[in-house]
Amino acid sequence: MPIKLKSLWGKPPLKSGYDVVIIGGGIHGLATAYFLARDHGVKDVAVIERRFVGYGGSGRNTAIVRANQRSQENLKLYDEGLKLWPRLIAELDFNMMFFNCGNLNLAHSEAAISALRLQVVTAQFYGVISELLDARQCREIVPALDISDRLTYPILGGMYHPPGGTLRHDAVAWGLAKGAAAKGVRIHQYTEVTGLKVEQGRVTGVVTDNGPIRTPRVLIAAGGYSTLLAGLVGLRLPIHVLPIQAMVSQPVKPFLHHVVSSGAYHVYCNQSLKGELVTGAHMDPWPTYTTNVTAQYIKHQAEALTELMPVLKGLRFMRIWAGLADMTPDMAPIIQGNDPIEGLYLDCGWGYFGFKSGPITGKYLAQYLATAECPEALKPFTLRRFEQGRPLGEIATPINYGPWN
Amino acid sequence: MSFMITCPICGRRDLYEFRFGGEERGPRPEEDGLTPRAYCEYVHMRTNAGGPQQEWWFHRDGCGLWFTVRRNTLTNREVSPPEAEG
Repeated sequence: MPIKLKSLWGKPPLKSGYDVVIIGGGIHGLATAYFLARDHGVKDVAVIERRFVGYGGSGRNTAIVRANQRSQENLKLYDEGLKLWPRLIAELDFNMMFFNCGNLNLAHSEAAISALRLQVVTAQFYGVISELLDARQCREIVPALDISDRLTYPILGGMYHPPGGTLRHDAVAWGLAKGAAAKGVRIHQYTEVTGLKVEQGRVTGVVTDNGPIRTPRVLIAAGGYSTLLAGLVGLRLPIHVLPIQAMVSQPVKPFLHHVVSSGAYHVYCNQSLKGELVTGAHMDPWPTYTTNVTAQYIKHQAEALTELMPVLKGLRFMRIWAGLADMTPDMAPIIQGNDPIEGLYLDCGWGYFGFKSGPITGKYLAQYLATAECPEALKPFTLRRFEQGRPLGEIATPINYGPWN
Repeated sequence: MSFMITCPICGRRDLYEFRFGGEERGPRPEEDGLTPRAYCEYVHMRTNAGGPQQEWWFHRDGCGLWFTVRRNTLTNREVSPPEAEG
């Protein structure tokens, strides 16, 4: 007998005006809407999504969460974000399949070990559990690893961060959408923003393909497409929009109990609770707004994975997809409000850190939108840091330290 | 993501032979009276066009030439410059 499923967030008609309009029905936008309604009594909120909830980067990442970033500004935010997941899951009463299996970040050179050491002490200074392991200890927690010198870049050690892990990204988007809708937020799917109305330096509304909306506050939280929306009002951003690909293998018995990543091999992987190996790679270094995939990546991924874990030879990939990563020069996001346009807020430039930062950023962004005062936690991410010559130090991470330096 | 790039010397080749060099952003600004904001605008800010854009490519695994092409970022196809369409 067919089961008629009830929509989790409904299909309300578009109103002619809202207190806040959030562009982007992904994790960042939905979390902001949820916390606006929950904490600040701002319930007249519209979330405008061009396709459907979680269609963009929110549903295309590899759902890894961790708090072992390099710079203190980033680290504190991600640490708080990591601690928020269990509370959010309980509060929304939605199973997001949070699995805090821990992350192991491999190093293949002395330079990378030094970078990891810096990152570990930063984490420990802020009370985040993170430690440096030698190659043998890496193998103890991930027996599939080949720590011999047969590798092109032998494993010298790694950074182990037990509190990290994975979630189910679709469930995060659905749970937040359901929670936001229950608090009065209106989610408008299949609605595309085609223009932003600005009068005398103030936002007055947005134009969509379903009609215009009046609003004094607009948040752009559209991931890789944020640059196009900012472009509607002539705003240029220090962002490169690059495609990043990910894939899953056929399901196999549990053999990998941690997220394993390697900057030198440009690979990260984990085994999902269903048994599939979920793996992603580096980005293609040319900007595009398409999400096509390539055979080169499957080949690259197969080579890297089977070199690090020879036991994977013969494993088949089942699906491959791509998403957009909005990369900034310092690997830190851009959060900016009321400058240069009053009422216009930006939440973009997350690169491939958008998933792990989603709910916690939404919580602070809601405060920002409600009070027009930027919370301390978000202040370091101002767009103005580039002209002030104060980029954040996030690129000093192992991914940039390989056998080549 | 894969597509083809036309090198002025070697012709249409697979893009994995090339290195991307960024969108065309004009000459470096004059240093006289240059403000941090104007310099930042040149160094960091990008148009990120959703559509045709003029951009630099380097034929790394070929002839070693730096050149510009006009590519539509929504389709990844090269397009003729507007003046040629005239």
